[in-house]
Amino acid sequence: MSSTIHFSERTQDRPAGPVRLLTLPTPVDDFVSFRGSFLAYPDLAAGEGVLQQLAVAMLDQGTEHRDRFELAQVLEDRGAKLNLSSDGLYVDIRGQALADDLPDVLDVLAEMLQSPAFDEAEFEKTRAQTVGQLQRSLEKTSSRAANALTRSLFADGHPNYRPPLETRIQQVQAATRADVRDYHRAHFGATDFTLAVVGDLAHDPVAGAVEEAFAGFAPHESAPAHAVEARGGRPRRESIPMPDKSNVDVRLGHALPIRRDDEAYLPLYVGNYILGGNFAARLMTTVRDEKGLTYGIGSSLSGITTRYPGYFKTQVTLSHDVLEEGIEATETVIRTFVEEGATQEELEAKKETIAGSFTVGLATTGRLAYSLLLNAERDFEVGYLDAFLDRVHALTLDDVNDAVRTHLRPDALHVAAAGTRPEVVSV
Amino acid sequence: MPTSPAPATLPEGVSFETSSDDISCYRLDANDLRVLVLPQDGVPVTSFMVTYHVGSRNERAGHTGATHMLEHLMFKGTDAHHRRHGTSIMETLERLGAQLNASTWFDRTNYYEMLPTQHLETAVEVEADRMRGALLDPDDVEAERSVILNEYDRAQNDPVSRLFDEVWAAAFVAHPYHHPTIGWRSDIETISPDGLRHYYDTFYYPNNATVSVIGNVEPDDALAMVADHFGSIEPAAHDIPQVTTREPEQTGKRRVRVEQDGQLGAVLSAYKSPAATHADSEALDLLARILASGKGSRLYRRCTDQGLTSDVFGLNFRLRDPGLFSVFAYLAPERTHEEVEAALREVIAEIQENGVTEEEVERARQQLTAQTAFNRDGPMKIASQLNEAIAAGDWTLYTRYLDRLGDVTAADVQRAARTYLRDGRNTVGWYVPTTQ
Repeated sequence: MSSTIHFSERTQDRPAGPVRLLTLPTPVDDFVSFRGSFLAYPDLAAGEGVLQQLAVAMLDQGTEHRDRFELAQVLEDRGAKLNLSSDGLYVDIRGQALADDLPDVLDVLAEMLQSPAFDEAEFEKTRAQTVGQLQRSLEKTSSRAANALTRSLFADGHPNYRPPLETRIQQVQAATRADVRDYHRAHFGATDFTLAVVGDLAHDPVAGAVEEAFAGFAPHESAPAHAVEARGGRPRRESIPMPDKSNVDVRLGHALPIRRDDEAYLPLYVGNYILGGNFAARLMTTVRDEKGLTYGIGSSLSGITTRYPGYFKTQVTLSHDVLEEGIEATETVIRTFVEEGATQEELEAKKETIAGSFTVGLATTGRLAYSLLLNAERDFEVGYLDAFLDRVHALTLDDVNDAVRTHLRPDALHVAAAGTRPEVVSV
Repeated sequence: MPTSPAPATLPEGVSFETSSDDISCYRLDANDLRVLVLPQDGVPVTSFMVTYHVGSRNERAGHTGATHMLEHLMFKGTDAHHRRHGTSIMETLERLGAQLNASTWFDRTNYYEMLPTQHLETAVEVEADRMRGALLDPDDVEAERSVILNEYDRAQNDPVSRLFDEVWAAAFVAHPYHHPTIGWRSDIETISPDGLRHYYDTFYYPNNATVSVIGNVEPDDALAMVADHFGSIEPAAHDIPQVTTREPEQTGKRRVRVEQDGQLGAVLSAYKSPAATHADSEALDLLARILASGKGSRLYRRCTDQGLTSDVFGLNFRLRDPGLFSVFAYLAPERTHEEVEAALREVIAEIQENGVTEEEVERARQQLTAQTAFNRDGPMKIASQLNEAIAAGDWTLYTRYLDRLGDVTAADVQRAARTYLRDGRNTVGWYVPTTQ
């Protein structure tokens, strides 16, 4: 059993200037999708996550050669999409363009990365807009609960730790243009710079365009400064009261000691899929379908990379009048699953699901580009994608249940809930 | 690429109707089910979608949300597919790796699967089975009612979601676009299993549905599967009820105000727009881009770049009946609703007065052209676009879009702005954050 794409045969993986370039032609008409990233290595405990966020937000606000409107016009005249974002240790790139326009889009990207102007007036506007975006996040129960859970599991300085939004707003307000410019100089460069391009393309012209665009983009000299391990501590419950939010977002989770290249990852991935990976998984069928307690519930292995371990997380939304009942039902499903384990029938069903959904996931250029990028960030060979389904297929029930029993710990679940608490009714 | 079969080789009981671009349209002779087929190259994956021509537009007072609730109940099972047998729709399809779900909006309800082509027949069988075989068990209705109330609460958490609901409710006083698709809370709480059964028995028939098959599949195989599984379903014995309510002409600007705990305010300014099939719709699509897409747009330069707003959007909702063309803005910190609303009005007035440039039109057209290409990235994206054209009443809106867009001139855009973006067609909503 292997992928229907045959990544190894059809993907070209080669250096193009300072870039590790992965190109994959697919039978779509006239356009390409691309995903990319490079390592910036912010010192997160020192608040550099915010500087990275501001530096990325300033990239399209003008360069030493073109102002913000001239840059935008190149993209808008071509209908191209180009988005840059800050994601922990990485700066991420994603976009789509008509195939003929890719060289022009790459030129704009290279110019933005290498020679942003950091104009003072634009910096003030960007800072105000960033504060506004963070303030809007303060209104969202989902982000408040999810972020609170990470703070229970990880210390400041770990890439999975999300500082309180109020702290980030203060850090943004305190940042200066010089801070952001200096951060850019020290942390933006072609360090582990990978670009995956998929769609209506020929390998060599894309490689030529990438090489030409990024010829002057050298790696930076900053070193990793992030925490690696999760913090210890007894499970605790954090409530974030928010007025006018009758839906309460709840996150339950605990840290996991494994990384993405650990042998235990794959059996635990399949085990989690049986517990909460889709509509037919145990959490959804029990807490939503049977008990009618929630619109949405699921579980995942989150924040796990080959550089640091992550955590097990369950997310559930509950109307506030069934909050406690819903949390209890969720914990019960997790506990029962760990104690009793998956059944052979469940394992076979999920193996089939994973095989089918892997194929379905190959149907878009955007998803293919993301898969190639993620695989490269993990330092896996392209062939790993072809072998993935064989590895899943080879797992036994003991493999899965051993991983579940070893790593999922119902008694260690931290809980974070954000929303309006139900009022106590006196009788 | 697989090619559409010549009419002479069609499976028995299937008639060719028409084609547009690379989509072919067929009918099942037995029950008038319309079938659209779009063969594609690429990985062996296919999307299968059934679009029912019923949405919240077809609901009446006291039964709002019924269409959406019925959509949920459609996953609860039939005699053949039920969790008590271990054959629920989710178990059956997700086991194969299918991505599946359903959605309800004003004009339609659609059920869709994207799955490996080798399993396409299972999706066809499931959809045919539940077209007339849904059990709508009263116990399931009660369990699902609380699920939907949680979905309702999730939407109510978001002040912008409330703002959109209230602006639509104010803009439409007679037409059923007045009420949100999820329904009013009291209706969700009280609608009965019999009420849902009534909707099901009124609208869920092959002659009120369109099937779409998109992907790496041989069209004659797909047509044979559809004919085999849907061909025996009887069409409705009654006429499908049509919506006859027309929204009376608006006579002045309307205002709503949403107060809810939060941080930053917002302004939504919405104008009555023509039906999706109207000849001016593409001019309004271009106008939305010229107003608020990218740094070159008018509202970005006037509002976001000047620190008045933190984000601004232009939205041309294209619906079966006249809908709303909208501009939406998040206020920047320390800015007021009054000054943002005045800026929106000023930019629109400038276009009405002096028009737009050919360069702006070309840029917007190129953006929509590129977006159309991007929207062909995989069968599910195509299904999603095609679904809205089907719901609007003419599926060829999807295939003819670029041609229609190519006909629009700068003068057309100015005329559309003058015709539709008038005070007498305007409803303005403010989201005003409160602190509790």
